[in-house]
Amino acid sequence: MTKEFKHIGKATQKFDGKERVSGKAVYGHDLELPGMLYAAILRTRYPCAEILSINTSKAKALEGVECVLTAEDADVHNISYKRDHPILKKGRVNCIRDEIVAVAARSKEIAEEAIRLIEVEYRVKKGVYDPFEALLDTAPIINEFGKGLESFDNKNIAEAFHYEHGDLEAEKARSKVIVKKRYELPRVTHACMATSNITADYSPLTGRLTLWASTQVPFLYLRDMAHALKMAPSNIRVVQPVIGGGFGSKLDMLPFEPICALLAIKTAKPVQLLYSREEEFLASPTRQPMVIDLTTGADEQGKFTFRAVEIIMDNGAYTSWGATTPFVMMQTFSSLYQVPACRFDARAVYTNNPFAGSFRGYGNPQATFALESNIDLMAEALGMDKAEIRLLNANYPGEITGQGLHYNTCGAIPALKAVVEKGRYHAIAHAPKEGRYKRGIGLASMLHVGGGAKIYRSDGCGTTLKLDDYGYLTIITGSNEIGQGSETVLAMIAMEELGIEQDKIKIINTDTDVKPWDVGVHASRTSFVAGNSLLGAISLLKEKLNKKAAELLHIEGPDFVYENGMIRVDAHEIKIDKVVRDIHFMPPHQLCEVSFFYEPSSEFQDKQFKGDVSGSYAFASQAIEVEVDTLTGAVRVLEVHVSQDVGRVLNPLGLQGQIEGGVATGIGYALTEEMIYEDGLLKNPSFHGYKLLTANDMPKVHFYPIETNDGAGPYGAKGASEAPLIPTSAAIANAVANAIGVRFYSLPLTAEKVLFALVQKSVGTPRRCATLSEHAQIEKQKGHGF
Amino acid sequence: MDFEVVTPHTQSELLGAIAANQGKNFRIGAGYTDLINQFKLRPERDLTVINIAQIREDTFRNISKNDRCIELGALVTASDLLGNDTVRKEFPVLCEAASSVASMQIRNTATIGGNICNASPSADMSGALVALQARCRILNVKGERREEPLVSFIRGPRQTSLEKHEILERIIIPQNTSAVIKSGFEKIGARKSMEISIVFLAYHFQLSESGIIEKAGIACGAVAPVIPFADRACAYIVGKRLNELKDDEKEAFAQKVMEYAAPISDIRASAWYRNEVLYNISKALFE
Repeated sequence: MTKEFKHIGKATQKFDGKERVSGKAVYGHDLELPGMLYAAILRTRYPCAEILSINTSKAKALEGVECVLTAEDADVHNISYKRDHPILKKGRVNCIRDEIVAVAARSKEIAEEAIRLIEVEYRVKKGVYDPFEALLDTAPIINEFGKGLESFDNKNIAEAFHYEHGDLEAEKARSKVIVKKRYELPRVTHACMATSNITADYSPLTGRLTLWASTQVPFLYLRDMAHALKMAPSNIRVVQPVIGGGFGSKLDMLPFEPICALLAIKTAKPVQLLYSREEEFLASPTRQPMVIDLTTGADEQGKFTFRAVEIIMDNGAYTSWGATTPFVMMQTFSSLYQVPACRFDARAVYTNNPFAGSFRGYGNPQATFALESNIDLMAEALGMDKAEIRLLNANYPGEITGQGLHYNTCGAIPALKAVVEKGRYHAIAHAPKEGRYKRGIGLASMLHVGGGAKIYRSDGCGTTLKLDDYGYLTIITGSNEIGQGSETVLAMIAMEELGIEQDKIKIINTDTDVKPWDVGVHASRTSFVAGNSLLGAISLLKEKLNKKAAELLHIEGPDFVYENGMIRVDAHEIKIDKVVRDIHFMPPHQLCEVSFFYEPSSEFQDKQFKGDVSGSYAFASQAIEVEVDTLTGAVRVLEVHVSQDVGRVLNPLGLQGQIEGGVATGIGYALTEEMIYEDGLLKNPSFHGYKLLTANDMPKVHFYPIETNDGAGPYGAKGASEAPLIPTSAAIANAVANAIGVRFYSLPLTAEKVLFALVQKSVGTPRRCATLSEHAQIEKQKGHGF
Repeated sequence: MDFEVVTPHTQSELLGAIAANQGKNFRIGAGYTDLINQFKLRPERDLTVINIAQIREDTFRNISKNDRCIELGALVTASDLLGNDTVRKEFPVLCEAASSVASMQIRNTATIGGNICNASPSADMSGALVALQARCRILNVKGERREEPLVSFIRGPRQTSLEKHEILERIIIPQNTSAVIKSGFEKIGARKSMEISIVFLAYHFQLSESGIIEKAGIACGAVAPVIPFADRACAYIVGKRLNELKDDEKEAFAQKVMEYAAPISDIRASAWYRNEVLYNISKALFE
């Protein structure tokens, strides 16, 4: 029954690739409007302090300064997921990002000079940088807008989640092994190639605000902006310039955005605000750092019995979408592999650290690192093979999990088998470990949503199609292109269905005044949701075309084929543009336009977080081979084998890009990346100090797609793009343990951490042991875990 | 940050520019790979940059060799070194150090003179040159020259013996006296490119036909305020047969290298790690 496709499944270059590589693409940084002003922000000098006074008189007096804005001048609402974040701070500052004053001036240099002229008097206070300390009764209230005491019985809890299924105590009692471990995950950042940016323009004549904003979620952004500025949402137009990297960082609206809008409103001139790279490190979102206490059990045969999870997340000073990552983590703990009982508790705790945000994988890399490490430990305790224990417990098609996820299709077992076999898992795992360079291999799997995630009132996407009388198709889609290749996949679908060539397809997807509603780019949802939406619209368009074509060809009820710009059946054929012209110009004179809104069949979860939250689910496994230099502690990743249930491969080239990009992020998370904070201050706000890996560090990535053809997805496809980074750090940590016999419970596995463990493990007294305490001191300062 | 730029095109214009700016605060710029960063981190006021990137004269630009030495102009870039046959074949330590510098874009513009005069304890190319016992030829505004061993030219972090009226002209490396060499550069860092050494070990051994070490050059980086030449380790190893060192001899050698290490702890690594790794890679040189 497999249909032969002309475009779907064929490697297709990025639709927008030429513009991007030739420098023609217009990023936010390239925008220039007539009379535009440049904005700069004064941030706090201390992460925790009272503001005693702010003196802006010198800045205001500076030639070329057009507006100086403090909290006193701004009639605004708090922003953020919990509305606990003032756009400009007064009275107190809570983290090192805090914005105190903003300036708009005729040049960037003048704006920066004005910032230097502002005098702020602080009374420095002792901050709380450890969430466990923040939970103590003696801790001060960190966020005055927090509702912790009313909602969660602790003033410094920003958000909490509880989930359970099954009889935990009974499962515990019948467990043969129980493994309890604490895992500590660092703070890392997206490191988008384009720094954060916004350009705002306001007309006092119309009351309309236009924002050129690098958001991933334009319609939610518009709503948040309207709330912040106390404006009517429909008076705001959001235009997305070309976006130089999202990865989740642009899910939250951050203070700099309404600040820039306010400067535009106050000056009635366009205002642009661009982050420097240092500012990007200091003041853009991060992944959640957290401590995961995980207890897991298995019976004598190795069947999993239960999981009990307690998570403390460092929420930072304010609450972003990132506080909701437990929503994803609980899926992994409740439903990755079969598990009869699960109890999950996660608390996001305010501290004076910067607030985290959302980041590709959305909590899942953290959860998967803990779970897959524990699985290795249980296998060891049972004397079982690590591939076998995973296969024994793997998810299967038709499974309904304890949380109520319906796995209509499930490629977990084939994915696991593929990487075990192709990665030569057993041969490498059991090879003798000798010499300076020790090799090892590790396995890890993952579960993620594959058909969107119903967390907002709608998880849908709208599409409008316009076919012109020259046969060119304009796709107006609610979905967004942030580099992930969405435009390409949509064009491929239209080419497949309508037989229109690529250079006759235009995509409009950047303007909220024009495009239909969509919830945004997140949860690996775009190809799934926007693809289905486009297919729905195409079906409506074909109804119109078929009707007119039949009329023109004088045939009845035919089954038309769309190919090479023609509509044909048997020996009859007609040019598609000819049909459009007849629809337009002949009575009854209609437009060849249609609109369609697609809403996935997924459901809201109930208050207990149970329910089938996604249209489909993605499964993946990785086998990663590493080599550890026992003299330096350096871990080198040699080969990465990725197998993933993607439903169906739409664009193999784009998919391979997503796989390799995800793996790169995963390797950095596993080995080198870490934002190093000392008492709330970032010590490495540059690429020099923040060790993002480079192309030279990338190993060979082998990819084996599993096609399960899920009925819910376009052509059977599932969401695919977060998955490749989710199991990577877990597989690497498992590989390192296999190589050197030392297991790590925190990331990243820096060379120093590995060498220290090797020295500790070695028989006899370690050399220069007097300085070991110094190492420990440094590690503590670097705040591993926290 | 605002600054004046003066761009001499010849040696005499250069010396004139240095002489004319003696009363002012000036910096010399060639490849700008360090300077721009320093301006960003520590903006200076009333600064003049003497831009020597446009000087075309051989004495600053070329790589020459004679019976006694090979000479490098101060404006020779890391990429120039990589493209030079003599450097590649006879001084692998310098070639490996140059290839480990940052990225191709930076190697194309970063100069050997800048690497030396920036006087960073983790400067890769300087480390190779210290191991090669290179000398610096320094030119002053009167056109007079003096020579000084590189190891003493570098006085401390960002400090050299260069006077305000002087400029580094050329670097002189003694020729190998043997065709049998073991030479290389071990760089320890978190990533393969765009990385500043956490520790490095530069080594250049010249051997007799029968494998006895006749001359040795060892330098270690990022473990002390300057890049030390480990002469006691060199003295210890000279006269020994490279391939037949016993474990206790390797350890004794490594211990002697360690005598030159007094590292600090920073966000990149602790002093403990730097010591441990330097010891390990020194010992492993002969394995």
